[in-house]
Amino acid sequence: MAYAKETYRAELRAAARQLGERCLYSAAKWAAELLVGVEPDASPVPSAAMDTPSSSSATSAGRLLHLHRSGGSSFRHRPRPGGGTSSEAGTPLGGVSYVSTPIPDDDAFDSGGDKYLLAKTYFDCREYRRAAHVLQKQVGRKAVFLRCYALYMAGEKRKEAEMIELEGSLGKSNAVNQELVALEKELSTHRRTGSIDSFGLYLYGIVLRDKGCEDLARMILVESVNSYPWNWSAWSELQSLCTSSDILNNLNLKNNWMKDFFLASAYLELKMHEEALKRYERLMGVFRCSGYIQAQIATVQYSMRDLDEAEMKFEDLLRTDPFRVDSMDIYSNLLYAKESLTALSFLAHRVFLTDKYHPESCCIIANYYSLKGQHEKSVLYFQRALKLNRKYLSAWTLMGHEYVELKNTPAAIDAYRRAVDINPRDFRAWYGLGQIYEMMGMPFYALHYFRKSSYLQPNDARLWIAMAQCYESDPLQMIEEAIKCYERAANSNDTEGIALHRLAKLHGMLGQSEEAAFYYKKDLERMEVEERQGQNFVEALLFLAKHYKSIGRFEEAEHYCTRLLDYTGPEKENAKNMLQGIKRLQSGFPSMDTDHFAL
Amino acid sequence: MSLFAGVSGGAADAASGGGTGRALLELTPHKMAVCQLVQVFAPPAQAGGDVVPPFPFESLAHHNRLGLFLFTLTRSCEDFLEPPLEEFLRQLKAVDNLANGWFCEQLTSSLSALNSPDDLFNFFDKLRGVLTAPEGASAEDVFLDPNSQLGVFLRCCILAFNSMTFEGVCHLLADLVMYCNSTDASYDLAEDEGFNSEMGNLMDADIDSQVGIFDKFHQGYASERHMGESSSALTRAPTSTYDFDDANIFKADDNPTCLRSRWQLEAYLNQQADILEKDPGSVPLNSFNATMTQLQTLAPELHRVQFLQYLNALCHDDYVASLDNLHRYFDYSAGMQGLFGRSVSQVQDIVVGKYESALLCLGNLHCYFGHPKKALEAFAEAVRVSQMNNDDSCLAYVLGAISNLLSKIGISNTVGIISSPYSLGTNIGLGTPLSIQQQLLVLLKRSLKRADALKLPSLLSFDHLSLAKFDLKHVQRPLVSFGPNASTKLRTCPADVIKNLRLGSRVLTDFGADVLSTSNDNGSFSTSWLRNLSAASDSWRRSSKNTKKLHINDFDNFHYHAQPSPVPAPILQLAGSAYLLRATAWEHYGSAPMVRMNALVYATCFADAARWEFHSELSLAYVKLIQQLAVFKGYSAAFCALKLAEKKFPSSTSLHIQLLGMQILHERALHRGHLKVAQQICDEFGVLSSSVSGVDIELKTEFSVRRARTLLAAKQFSQAAAVASSLFSTCYKYNMQVENASILLLLAEIHKKSDNAVLALPYALASQSFCKSFNLDLLEASATLTLAELWLALGSSHAKKALSLVYQSLPMILGHGGLELRTRAHIILAKCHLSDPKFSVLEDPEAVLDPLNQATEDLQALEYHEMAAEAYYLKAMAYNHLGKLDEREEAAARFKDHVTALENPQNEEDSLAY
Repeated sequence: MAYAKETYRAELRAAARQLGERCLYSAAKWAAELLVGVEPDASPVPSAAMDTPSSSSATSAGRLLHLHRSGGSSFRHRPRPGGGTSSEAGTPLGGVSYVSTPIPDDDAFDSGGDKYLLAKTYFDCREYRRAAHVLQKQVGRKAVFLRCYALYMAGEKRKEAEMIELEGSLGKSNAVNQELVALEKELSTHRRTGSIDSFGLYLYGIVLRDKGCEDLARMILVESVNSYPWNWSAWSELQSLCTSSDILNNLNLKNNWMKDFFLASAYLELKMHEEALKRYERLMGVFRCSGYIQAQIATVQYSMRDLDEAEMKFEDLLRTDPFRVDSMDIYSNLLYAKESLTALSFLAHRVFLTDKYHPESCCIIANYYSLKGQHEKSVLYFQRALKLNRKYLSAWTLMGHEYVELKNTPAAIDAYRRAVDINPRDFRAWYGLGQIYEMMGMPFYALHYFRKSSYLQPNDARLWIAMAQCYESDPLQMIEEAIKCYERAANSNDTEGIALHRLAKLHGMLGQSEEAAFYYKKDLERMEVEERQGQNFVEALLFLAKHYKSIGRFEEAEHYCTRLLDYTGPEKENAKNMLQGIKRLQSGFPSMDTDHFAL
Repeated sequence: MSLFAGVSGGAADAASGGGTGRALLELTPHKMAVCQLVQVFAPPAQAGGDVVPPFPFESLAHHNRLGLFLFTLTRSCEDFLEPPLEEFLRQLKAVDNLANGWFCEQLTSSLSALNSPDDLFNFFDKLRGVLTAPEGASAEDVFLDPNSQLGVFLRCCILAFNSMTFEGVCHLLADLVMYCNSTDASYDLAEDEGFNSEMGNLMDADIDSQVGIFDKFHQGYASERHMGESSSALTRAPTSTYDFDDANIFKADDNPTCLRSRWQLEAYLNQQADILEKDPGSVPLNSFNATMTQLQTLAPELHRVQFLQYLNALCHDDYVASLDNLHRYFDYSAGMQGLFGRSVSQVQDIVVGKYESALLCLGNLHCYFGHPKKALEAFAEAVRVSQMNNDDSCLAYVLGAISNLLSKIGISNTVGIISSPYSLGTNIGLGTPLSIQQQLLVLLKRSLKRADALKLPSLLSFDHLSLAKFDLKHVQRPLVSFGPNASTKLRTCPADVIKNLRLGSRVLTDFGADVLSTSNDNGSFSTSWLRNLSAASDSWRRSSKNTKKLHINDFDNFHYHAQPSPVPAPILQLAGSAYLLRATAWEHYGSAPMVRMNALVYATCFADAARWEFHSELSLAYVKLIQQLAVFKGYSAAFCALKLAEKKFPSSTSLHIQLLGMQILHERALHRGHLKVAQQICDEFGVLSSSVSGVDIELKTEFSVRRARTLLAAKQFSQAAAVASSLFSTCYKYNMQVENASILLLLAEIHKKSDNAVLALPYALASQSFCKSFNLDLLEASATLTLAELWLALGSSHAKKALSLVYQSLPMILGHGGLELRTRAHIILAKCHLSDPKFSVLEDPEAVLDPLNQATEDLQALEYHEMAAEAYYLKAMAYNHLGKLDEREEAAARFKDHVTALENPQNEEDSLAY
């Protein structure tokens, strides 16, 4: 084992301090949380000598930053320390050797140490321009970084304000961060002369990202994380720039253990759930108490539709960290899917009390109203969430759903389309678009969207079923294509069992009784396993009985007929007649009458 | 693509209205500059009754000139992008050089003096003084009427300022400082920053290349007359010195440009769309996309940009990208802004969207990529949705697209494509599936009824025309025929066709004044005026240096280069196509003079109206005229005309003309006996059509016919017969009965030439009956001639019968037939006489010689060696009987000439040139 737990701790401790000193709050928070998440040794955790950003101003400043940085689809997850788990000793990460990066030692105060201190306090109070002004003539790397960062934050703050001043609605606005040009000029000069540290590189990366030079930004960020891997903000910026697995695989990253976190999160974003789960579970071995990892695992499980498992995880997480808001929207989605109203209302109440003006909170409340069937209110809260974070992907999609419920199709289309334009890999929004067009009586047009969504999520039976239903619809009547889609659905774990039944029916309609019988039989088996009975069950039995009788396999036919006798209704009479017919046939009296009964 | 041209050109009426409930205008530095100038134009406190113009103006004319300039500026104040100060000053100079730059100086100094929010307050306070009449002012005093254009503009500005928040004032101030400081940098710097250096260089290169292309475009079509709509008016003004190209949108370069208003941007997009449709090769895929993306960041609400991206991808055969862009465009815009309205209305209330046009475009896309089935599905859905949404104009286009598709591609009877029970079947209440044609008929009739009820003249006329087209080619069988009373007359009804055509062209008269008045004022006037101002002021300045004619009323300079046509183009187009369709109908029914007349009417009356978009129709009229020339006046005349037509329509842009050239060349090669050439041209026909089965049916049919005829000329009868009969079965499958009549005749001809008269007889008879039921009179006459020939071939005892057949068809042929048909009739007539055992040449030599002389005369123009040889042979025989040896020798010599020419074809290469 290359890494001892104490090494992790030492690295994280230093990182949290260094990041905090540079006012990179969310990264510092992440590191600190993880530090506490390292599985405790026999001895109690030595108290970390670092200042967790606890003042309200610092947290909200971090959020402000986070608002701009999460250029990708979702929100970052920054769990609070999760203590109190009495788990067994973890196994070390086997077979992986990490490259250890020396912790840079920059604690030595340069000449302008006092001024730096002043600037940092200004920054903490969100007086960015003042902070930058104090550091104007300082040349130390730390001072330069903080000055640039303060300028960037000032520009962002102004941009936010301008956005509201100039437009205010949810539409696009051409407000830009006025500082970007100057910052880019300065940082690129520093980079060229080599007088830039990894924090500066990180800032340079986000400046470039904001200017739209994504390739260069990616390169710079890679440089930054390679020289200083503990800055989670840099990793997450990098991840938001990796929109496909090709890009991800072509990154030239040093094999630090932080890379595992990055990869796992990137895999989750790219819907490579298996890989993500594998990595998180391995990381769990070391950071056993980390709420972040726990939440991520639950998210993966939710995405893999493993609802019960994920719910347990979330409940656990809430128990240890009751004031958590991050990734609770996923939990609310889960509760929505499970239709557990009480739990959802409880969650909504809790986050409302914790932090009402948090996009995730609004989303949770909206989910609650949606489940209650109060869609207008739901839309209201989604709109609030989107006002807080315009790139909040799932809110756009969910708001689309609400508009669908409200029968406001143009608005729904608009919402979905925006979601898709923010992240073209969001299969739910594509699916929603398809659904709307299908509702509007345009099944052919809808096919395009269903095709998109099933391309992104090929193992989701619901998507294939939706597509098949389009093909099957009255205006199109493209049965063969529908059959193909249903086959895909049946092969990808169709929990509701629609596909098998429709497959059997369609084959029956096409007169392919052999195939129809095959699917009826499968459907029957499925229903038996799930102990479900009903019209479909009777239908399957009846068809199979008729089919086996017509091909002369009387024993099977008899079997199905006798099973049919358990039911009331016309099918019972039918089965009786059929049984008689079979008897007659078996006894070797070929008579004309039997045919009459058989039909 | 041609279909879309119709779409984009159409429905100007849909674009009317809108734009009423606009928000108050947004204050910008440019508007403030205009305000400042208005203040100069009408300074406050001019009481005192002096009629002399205020201080800086030399004369009333000068004063008026500034007024006109301001008027135009305020008219086009609904700007998308406003010019930077520098450019505005340049525009101003046109008015200013009388006052030695006083205006410019005054403007810049007063604007740059505004340094604090309070200055702004004072500025607008002073403006208010312009509007209020001073104490004791009389009617003659010069002050600004608050209800005039300028007055309203000023009031709007003041109101906008007063309702501004302090933040807004700060923004305005910041913008103003930037505006005044923008000496050479672009005013709108957001997008300049957006590109780092290398990217910027790349873009520059692309834009440069594009500029080159546009120049080419302008040179190529500068001579085009243009009427009406904004796109052409703004961008193709032939005398304008400054091309409006996209480089100017993004860079303030050395060229002064006109105001870039929203209209101009729209016009720019429309122009780009036109270019993409007409000449996609000239637009580079990637750089165009980059331009569009840039435009989109500038104008996120202008969703048409996405449509252009779709068009661009389409033109470059990028299926995936075009599909994506199409869907994106309609997802964003269908709810608010239809495809047909070329104006963006600011009112964005959510209405039921134009999703049907999305389907229409999707159908066209699939058409373009050769997926007829998918296209039909999309169209069927479009029909359903537009019926649901009562969108008649879209319905019309969809129906047009469907009939276009049905004529272009073949769909065999058995497949019920539009058989969706919702659209049609259930209403008729019959379980039996309808054939495609019947469904089309039902669709058209229902659409007609609806258009009539809703008083939609253009849709009505369109439906009439489509019905005429349908009646022309299809026998209308009653959908339900029960019992003995249902008498079915299996004939087409020419009266119906003509009735429909007449009703169809009534659209022009129905097009009342009320529609005229609603033609939207889309600001193109003002902008074109400004363009012309800048263009004209140059020449004016130049001339003013030489001759000191300063006090000329310079209104002449402001000739509008584009007067809007009083009748919208789509209406004209419909009226015109009625005439074209008439020509086609007469072509079918076999009346040459009527064909000529109608085509001429189109070519003369609608040539002006036939704008760039409708060139294909105009070229069709030309094609018809030239075809007539070829048939009646021989090839040399036709080729002369063709050359002229090619000058007008470069063959790269007009498929019609290109095809015509090939057709005539092929005919001539066949007649001259240049079989290799004929084969070559025939192969070219084969290449032109798409390889997808069911697409380009007309072209494929023509190819097969020509192939069979070439084989026939090469005396490869069995192959020719095989080609013809396979063609027959295809046409039968696709329900193309009119074509079948001529194919059957061709089959009869083939069997006749292979000396198998008995086999040919049923074909000829079948063809004749087809002709009867479709009223194809001329073709029927031709079939009758063939029948006569066949009877002759059966033996001389049938000569009498043959003769009567010939006589029967003679009136029709002599009245309307072309050269070839006439000579054939004459020759057969002579042959009948000659082979009749009871007929003696000596008794009645004229009966034989007259037709033969006539025939040989006609054949001169036709260069038809085979027939000429036959005619001279018969002539020689006749003279021989008469004992006129000299004449006989002469005829025999000519006979020999033609036979040798036929057997030893010389100068085959000549046949390819004309």
